[in-house]
Amino acid sequence: MEKDKSIKRREFIHTGLRLALGFSLAGVAVAAGRKSTAEKWVWQIDPAKCTQCGRCATECVKSPSAVKCIHAYDLCGYCDLCGGYFKPGVKQLETGAENQLCPTAAIQRKYIEEPYFEYVINEDLCIGCAKCVKGCSSFGNGSLHLQIRHDRCDNCNECSIARSCPSDAIKRVPASQPYLIKGEFIKPLKG
Amino acid sequence: MKISRYHIILYSIILSALLSLGWWLGKDPVRDFKTSEPGLDNRGAAVKVNYNINIGEFFEQLNNESTDLQETWPRFRGEYFDNISRSPVKLIEKFGPSGPKVMWTAKLGEGHAGPAIYKGRVYLLDYDEELHSDMLRCFSLVSGKELWRRWYKVAVKRNHGMSRTVPAVNENYIVTIGPRSHVMCVNREDGKFLWGLNVEKDYNTEVPFWYTGQCPLVENDKLILATGGKALMIAVDCKTGKVLWETPNPDGWGMSHSSIMPYEFKGVRMYVYSAIGGVVGVAADGPNEGQVLWKSSRWNQQVVAPSALCLPDGKIFLTAGYGAGAMILKLSKADTTYRLDVLQEYKPVDGLASEQQTPLVYKSHIIGIMPKDAGALRNQMVCVDPSDFTKMIWTSGQAARFGLGPYMIADNKLFILSDDGTLTIARPSITNYTEIDHARVIEGQDAWGPLAIADGYLLMRDSKTLVCLDMAEGRKLK
Repeated sequence: MEKDKSIKRREFIHTGLRLALGFSLAGVAVAAGRKSTAEKWVWQIDPAKCTQCGRCATECVKSPSAVKCIHAYDLCGYCDLCGGYFKPGVKQLETGAENQLCPTAAIQRKYIEEPYFEYVINEDLCIGCAKCVKGCSSFGNGSLHLQIRHDRCDNCNECSIARSCPSDAIKRVPASQPYLIKGEFIKPLKG
Repeated sequence: MKISRYHIILYSIILSALLSLGWWLGKDPVRDFKTSEPGLDNRGAAVKVNYNINIGEFFEQLNNESTDLQETWPRFRGEYFDNISRSPVKLIEKFGPSGPKVMWTAKLGEGHAGPAIYKGRVYLLDYDEELHSDMLRCFSLVSGKELWRRWYKVAVKRNHGMSRTVPAVNENYIVTIGPRSHVMCVNREDGKFLWGLNVEKDYNTEVPFWYTGQCPLVENDKLILATGGKALMIAVDCKTGKVLWETPNPDGWGMSHSSIMPYEFKGVRMYVYSAIGGVVGVAADGPNEGQVLWKSSRWNQQVVAPSALCLPDGKIFLTAGYGAGAMILKLSKADTTYRLDVLQEYKPVDGLASEQQTPLVYKSHIIGIMPKDAGALRNQMVCVDPSDFTKMIWTSGQAARFGLGPYMIADNKLFILSDDGTLTIARPSITNYTEIDHARVIEGQDAWGPLAIADGYLLMRDSKTLVCLDMAEGRKLK
């Protein structure tokens, strides 16, 4: 007796569904794999090119700017007279607002021991104006510098500050290495 | 009374307005602000200074070596206080394929102290980090052998280096001043201790930021020193250590990193000093020696490192870093009365300024290196005409930037040391900048200590190494 090779409708539907599910899972897996292995890019400031023009504070679409000052502690001289903290020509090296260069008092100055002082950035107050960076670069070791903070940055495809940067200091860097930091020691960065 | 819908609406509006007003009055928009007041850094009380320093306590003879060399670079800015060598020794123009001819090197404590040279001997006030001591070291100029050392213990912490002065040397004496303003005078030949002076203790001097940078001045066997504190300036007999005169300091001006510059104006010799608080001219001789001839507090900066540059026509160029820029004073004299007028005053972006080094006077023009806050001219060497210090005659250009390092002229060549230890040879000129050659001599950093040259041997340093280069043209080694 000849075997009946015809496929029943129910079996056909089951097989089709299994194949569709299999292809779907494979597609999702491929897509997920591609997503996880594809290199992403983020914007970052090259401290060697930055001229501290102040536009990072005003041109970023975020308010306040996603650009923040960060501190390379191993480069810092821990000076009493800090060019990044004090306005030029101040007579009193005191923490009064009238002496401070930072318009938002985002730099905390802390006495360590004679003659050393530590300077810590409060990123919630920092607006990325670069006044402290300019002072530190002009009179100190350049330990203060600007970076785009990726826990705040929207990573716009067309970065506003990159477009307006006069020294082409802002460029795309791999997301796996998102910061261009001076020195070797900074306090841990979030994001 | 019948209350209409109109009244209900009106009362509601009034009530809402009153509530809003109350909310607005009660809300403090700056309640989360923290005021920035003095004292938030929790600055500690002033550290008690150890005044029990036994200056010149220790000595060690290390080697003996004879020399017949005669030339000198006896102090900060050389014999004539201008950083220009008059030596007839011809110097090389190019380093050649084998590079700079390094005669010897010596390890130093971290700092910027410069050497003085006297008849084949090199004298440098080092800070020995292991012994925690100011240490006067004597080297042979040719071999680099250390001949002797004299030191005393004094605690100094790293603060952008420690040592930063140049000894003053003459035939008989060597006078040094250490980071915490301890003055030591020794016999030049054998290093025998003669006397010491604790300026911080005796004159209630406030040691400047980053330690003492003023280099001692010795004239006619007299040490001239600007102490600040109880006196503005003093003279000390090098033979005995006796204080000969003290200039009163009623304004309480402080010691700066600047050094005293001798100046002769209309037949009167004077010492010009750019202090913290102002600039002063003190009579250098005559019946009123040690008395103030003139002074001005118009030039008042928190940190001053370059020394006053005094020109023959009475112009005095004053400059400082940290955004200060420069001021040009014009000194004039009628009978016995002096008058000072401000000719120019500007920020570093507007004219010649300097943060650490004192500019050169070359063929009645001024040559210097601009500070980092000089805008497009930052770290460039520039030349100005003293008729207008804001008008650049030439600049070294964007490709030739230097730093805080020293520069000098010898054998009509301009030697410029960059922060990283690169030595550039350029042609001094009042028309343009022409580089002849350059070479990296030290793989180092912060090469800011003043240069010294004698008998064709050029001494330079970075933060930790002293290097002697043979720059003489065609010299054959024995």
